[in-house]
Amino acid sequence: MTVIDARNLVKRYRTGGQTLEALKGVDFALEPGEFVSVMGPSGSGKTTLLNILGLLATPTEGRLLLQDRDVTDLNDRERTVLRKRAIGFVFQHFYLLPTLSAVENVEVPRLFDRDRNRRDRARDLLTRVGLGDRLDHRPDQLSGGQKQRVAIARSLINEPKIVLADEPTGSLDRETGRQILDEFRRIADERDVGIIAVTHDELVNEYVDRTINLVDGALQWETLDA
Amino acid sequence: MLESLYRRFPTVLMAQRNLTRTRARSVLASLGIVIGVIAIASLGMFGVALESSISDNLGTLGNQVTVSPNQDAGVQNLTERDIQEIRRAVGPDVSVSPGKQAVKPISYDRGPRRSELVYGIDDPASVYNASDGRIPDPFRSGVLVGEAVAEDEDLQPGNTITVNGTSMRVRAVLNATSSFSQLNPENRVYLPMPAFDQRGYQQVYVTAESGAAANESAMAIRDGLNDRQQRVTVQELGALVDQINETFQIVNTVLVGIAAISLFVAGISILNVMLMSTVERREEIGVLRAVGYQKRDVLKVMLMEATLLGVFGGIVGVGVSALVGLVINHYTVEDATAMFRLVNLGYLLAAFSFAVVVSVLSGLYPAWKAASEEPVEALRG
Repeated sequence: MTVIDARNLVKRYRTGGQTLEALKGVDFALEPGEFVSVMGPSGSGKTTLLNILGLLATPTEGRLLLQDRDVTDLNDRERTVLRKRAIGFVFQHFYLLPTLSAVENVEVPRLFDRDRNRRDRARDLLTRVGLGDRLDHRPDQLSGGQKQRVAIARSLINEPKIVLADEPTGSLDRETGRQILDEFRRIADERDVGIIAVTHDELVNEYVDRTINLVDGALQWETLDA
Repeated sequence: MLESLYRRFPTVLMAQRNLTRTRARSVLASLGIVIGVIAIASLGMFGVALESSISDNLGTLGNQVTVSPNQDAGVQNLTERDIQEIRRAVGPDVSVSPGKQAVKPISYDRGPRRSELVYGIDDPASVYNASDGRIPDPFRSGVLVGEAVAEDEDLQPGNTITVNGTSMRVRAVLNATSSFSQLNPENRVYLPMPAFDQRGYQQVYVTAESGAAANESAMAIRDGLNDRQQRVTVQELGALVDQINETFQIVNTVLVGIAAISLFVAGISILNVMLMSTVERREEIGVLRAVGYQKRDVLKVMLMEATLLGVFGGIVGVGVSALVGLVINHYTVEDATAMFRLVNLGYLLAAFSFAVVVSVLSGLYPAWKAASEEPVEALRG
């Protein structure tokens, strides 16, 4: 079973009078527990692919199946519900809420739910990513690596099937980047979560199961042995 | 306690934290609300205090009816019989005091002679109090003067006034009553009835318990005395009092309306602050949408921020207004506790509610804007 299955994705943007084809028929599938990196030069359509896989954008053509369910034509509200249920996000610039403590930031995705265990699970997740002693720190009291760990913990609070990471090591030094990638690797292995990381960083490829290359909106296959 | 509040209402947590992030800006935005609330509530309460102080002064004016001879019908004086009829018409609970008046040459303390209106009265001791001297009972000789006359002419009990060539001793200075009453002795000189040559009376003052009773008395007098012939003209002041009160209410409404404009301005400043904040927090809002917040969740958080600004401003505004109200009432009605009247509490509540409503309305557009932003666009930065 695949967690996510994209078939012949095409995305066109209309800018001014011109039509820009960001994705030109991309096929992509992800297994549970698989860690995949998407590499490619700027403007190759990486982020567009990630947005479509993350149900933040819809493809112009093609189908998208999430856990064998066709989710291509869902409206904004339904996609939001699914994002919450199945998808976690990690961003290059962390995007933590500066006014909330680490543990509150982890709770954010579930803040509006009736969930008695929310606080405990947030603590637990933070402890697992090694921030058990930083629970009540605000983001500005944390280092870049620590912020990214908080973001990872946040992406896991809804027990997603997939985590999508946009340049997760882009704002970190090499050593910290390795720690974060270790974290992803462990999550994929221990929790059976599929992870897709869009990146420029060659370092990522040392940790992933396979790498796909996106050039000009089309895939170039290249498999790496982990 | 806050912790459990936040757990129950996570929107409050997020909104409150967001507001404290730009504390100065939030405080300034609510300051507008504070000023608006103070303007509305204080002007409202000021109007109430002024109105009640005026009606204190008008006091029994509305309860009074003046009966005078109808000179158009050739009636010059009201006779003893007329007085009896008036007494009978109004019943025993209403006080009827007949008075005479005439213009007589007067000189104060050997000063130059002037022609002045002087009044005659039967039983002054039952109507007035003396601020100086003693009111003779029965009143057969001497004169009584009002406080204002005494002050203007520098009179004390024992001084003499020459009326119509006869020297008369001042017996007492009369205390002023409520200033608009027709019985107010302040500017008057009273002589005993026998000092008047003419028979009959020129005026009868009828004082009832209430405005409604005065109106009934007036009708009874008209029925009783103007049956065959229009003998008397009856003047009611209740209608005038009503009109004065009505005018005050209009003025008050206009004032409060003007004050309400300041709340609208405050609303615009909230709109401005919220718009700035949605632009600044675009990415954060994008993340919220990405991690599964529905549009309405974002809307809720933003609206809660606007509401908190309004509630905070409203509470401070109501607090300050209450103090202002105490001061206003202390000086106009001379009783600070008059602030706690139901009308005033109504004004405070109205100003507060208006503040919150204006804030929420001002938050609507920024909140809608933030909620309808595409997360992809927002995250692109």
